[in-house]
Amino acid sequence: MSKSTLYADTPILHVSLSDKSIRREPLPPDLYRQYLGGRGLGVKLLFDNLAPGTDALSPANLLVFAVGPSTATSVPTAGRFVVITKSPTTGTIFDSHAGGYFGAQLRRAGFAAVVLHGKSDTPVYLWINDDQVEIRDASKIWGKDTYATTDAILEETDSKAQVACIGPAGENLGLMAAIMTDKHRAAGRGGVGAVMGSKNLKAIVARGTGEVGAHDPERLKTAVERSRRLIKKNAVTNKSLPVYGTPVLLSVANELGMLPTNNFQEGTFNDAEGVSGEKLLERFSAGTYHCHGCPIGCGRVSQIQGRKVGGPEYESIWALGPQCGINDLEWIAIANDRCNLLGMDTISVGSTIGAAMELVEKGKLDAPLKFGDTTGVLDIIDDMAHMRGIGAEMSEGSKRLAERYGAPELAMQVKGLEIPAYDPRGAQGHALGYATSNRGGCHLRSYLIGPEVLGSPVLVDRDRPDGKADLVMLYQDLSAAMDCMVVCRFTNFAWTADDYAEMLSAGTGFELSGHDLLRIGERVYNLERLFNLREGFTAKDDTLPPRFFKPLPEGGSRNRVVHLDEMLSEYYKLRGWDKEGRPTKDTLKKLDIPVS
Amino acid sequence: MDLTVEKLAKMIDHTVLKPETTKAKIKQLCDEATIYDFAAVCINPVHAEYAAELLKDTSVKVCVVVGFPLGATTPEVKACETTNVVGAGAHEVDMVINVGALRDENYDLVTRDIESVIGASGDAHVKVILETGYLKDDQKVKACLICKEAGADFVKTSTGFGPMGATPHDVRLMRETVGPLMGVKAAGGIRSFKDAIRLIDAGADRLGTSAGVAIVEDFRWVQYSDSWMAPDKPCWTCPSRMANMAKQPKEVYTWYKERCLTCPDKEHNVFND
Repeated sequence: MSKSTLYADTPILHVSLSDKSIRREPLPPDLYRQYLGGRGLGVKLLFDNLAPGTDALSPANLLVFAVGPSTATSVPTAGRFVVITKSPTTGTIFDSHAGGYFGAQLRRAGFAAVVLHGKSDTPVYLWINDDQVEIRDASKIWGKDTYATTDAILEETDSKAQVACIGPAGENLGLMAAIMTDKHRAAGRGGVGAVMGSKNLKAIVARGTGEVGAHDPERLKTAVERSRRLIKKNAVTNKSLPVYGTPVLLSVANELGMLPTNNFQEGTFNDAEGVSGEKLLERFSAGTYHCHGCPIGCGRVSQIQGRKVGGPEYESIWALGPQCGINDLEWIAIANDRCNLLGMDTISVGSTIGAAMELVEKGKLDAPLKFGDTTGVLDIIDDMAHMRGIGAEMSEGSKRLAERYGAPELAMQVKGLEIPAYDPRGAQGHALGYATSNRGGCHLRSYLIGPEVLGSPVLVDRDRPDGKADLVMLYQDLSAAMDCMVVCRFTNFAWTADDYAEMLSAGTGFELSGHDLLRIGERVYNLERLFNLREGFTAKDDTLPPRFFKPLPEGGSRNRVVHLDEMLSEYYKLRGWDKEGRPTKDTLKKLDIPVS
Repeated sequence: MDLTVEKLAKMIDHTVLKPETTKAKIKQLCDEATIYDFAAVCINPVHAEYAAELLKDTSVKVCVVVGFPLGATTPEVKACETTNVVGAGAHEVDMVINVGALRDENYDLVTRDIESVIGASGDAHVKVILETGYLKDDQKVKACLICKEAGADFVKTSTGFGPMGATPHDVRLMRETVGPLMGVKAAGGIRSFKDAIRLIDAGADRLGTSAGVAIVEDFRWVQYSDSWMAPDKPCWTCPSRMANMAKQPKEVYTWYKERCLTCPDKEHNVFND
């Protein structure tokens, strides 16, 4: 069979689950040049085609699986995929990413993206076998967990295919439902699994055998060799992450008093050593996991109770551990595995359990939950996935749970998404990143932990609010651009914007500088902002829970508060937004975003 | 100065001085120095000949350390070592000063020590490592003056094996002492382009670091934000913060710490930043 080898010539696959129609549309050249692919492509499709106010769990919502112009090329880490949709959890535009091998298969099958429309009347899965696309009955696997689903579908299709699927949490429309691939890699955040479940779509399976080409193979080879050399020269990508995985961060965060403990009531966990990356390596390590084309290999494989399980990664250890006052690393690994099995976002699950524990502690909620006590927590996680009892209430996330019990201030969230594993009081720029993230409480829109904590590329004073708006904007734009290429965030430790641009230029023939690439990221970020404004979000939503404006009592970040107002006004100014956080006409014109 | 990636690279001595260094590591060091066009590779004497061979057709110099890292051998041994490494192809010699003699105020011996190396160095440039972490400011000034008088080409802060690395404070003091015509090399603990720029701003015209590649690569970020160079807490780069009782003579350590008492920035001297 013949296949287009360049991304620009790769079609978008539109699948209507309502009438089972399938059509291919070319990638619009303007869309490609302005938004590249991946996150940008999905955001543009959502912005142009989704009516404001659409119920995220209704058939009208769109669910986009996208890869990027670097996917399945020789560019390191470029085997990922991104899911873009309107989130039922936050009500915002949302992009959720996963590693593994699915993205590379989808690209090799010859597609830039799959756009899912409507809703099937019965459970189905989508089988993409190169250019043969088929909607298949999934009634026999509906109800199965993600591991059994993956095994059953691979048996039905092709053992060399890759599966992205939901588990019971997604089927039951839980707002922290993830889409899982390769069993333990997750497009975890924002309830994207619930959107999939709302369409009665159990899985997408992809098998691709096509070649993926490059515009200038020799130039790309040179650029890739350089990028791999930089990864090998960088202490984070060549030592810390390969040896300890992301859990290496736990001791660092704890030392700086930024390891949220007992639902962010403290920033230091007394038993941090027992749940650290070092301890995970010493007690449970059974190997490492590399996603497609990744020379870093940050993924962990642990030997727990006689079997190998994926993870746990740093955020999961924190959420199911210190956030809940839990110090049993083996239990944390089991709970993490349970979340993967059920198809749930470990960050939101753990953070919501922590919030529930504090609600109990404060006498607001009567439930068998207590900080530091694992008793019954695995059952609660099962109940969250299956919508049973208090689990059903908790499955809606900490914001709705805390509001329901009259203490909204106890939910550690932004725009309805639980904040991850860094107390923002310990890093001012990272705090601004949380508050202004287009998808809610997220550490990956602008990972200022790099410069503020890890000293990458240089250490900046984590306590200073001035200058942080500038860095947050830079990181947000760069991250958006990386998400349009669909490469791993960790490459950012070793590469500058120029390196991404060079690989992209060589691969596509679309000549870009680092500044051009950042401009694309800025365009994506502004379009997402417009989407959210259209949905009714305002500057008032660019905030943090009140807890972060009161000082931590002790630890490495004691007496610190977030200086948000000061940073936010500077941020709006730099972004070219008005005081209400709306992009001005001049800004939109500068970014070639049509002004309505 | 209008610093570019290329200019920054040409100020770096790409350095590997660890005892376990293999030939493969030297090959990698020289390859990187060639790719990035660093000023020199800085290596131990045992690798001088090999590095000189690898770099013979490049503009990268071979810099070899002498009397390293303690500086506690005799002038004759340092001279012999210098003759040997220059014969092996060294273009530059980084010698360690006799720190004990300096602290004893035995300036004749210190001078003779330096002159013996200069005398054996032929056309090679000589840099004198003061190992500032063992010295108080008046001793650093005295050492600089002796080096200048003896005809050394550079004064250099540290070996990287002593109690303290390069600080802007020391570089500034050294530059003020030796004037604009003599070289000042900062070495020890230079890990990022921010460290590098601070030391260059303080007066360094050469940097010794094993992180040269990362520094040059990361320097490309400078074009994307001015905020990287926003002021940090003043204690972060102050030698008094780095003072270490376990590694320094008591009176030197005490001298550093007493400076904190009268420092206008002393409220920043907390240890959770």
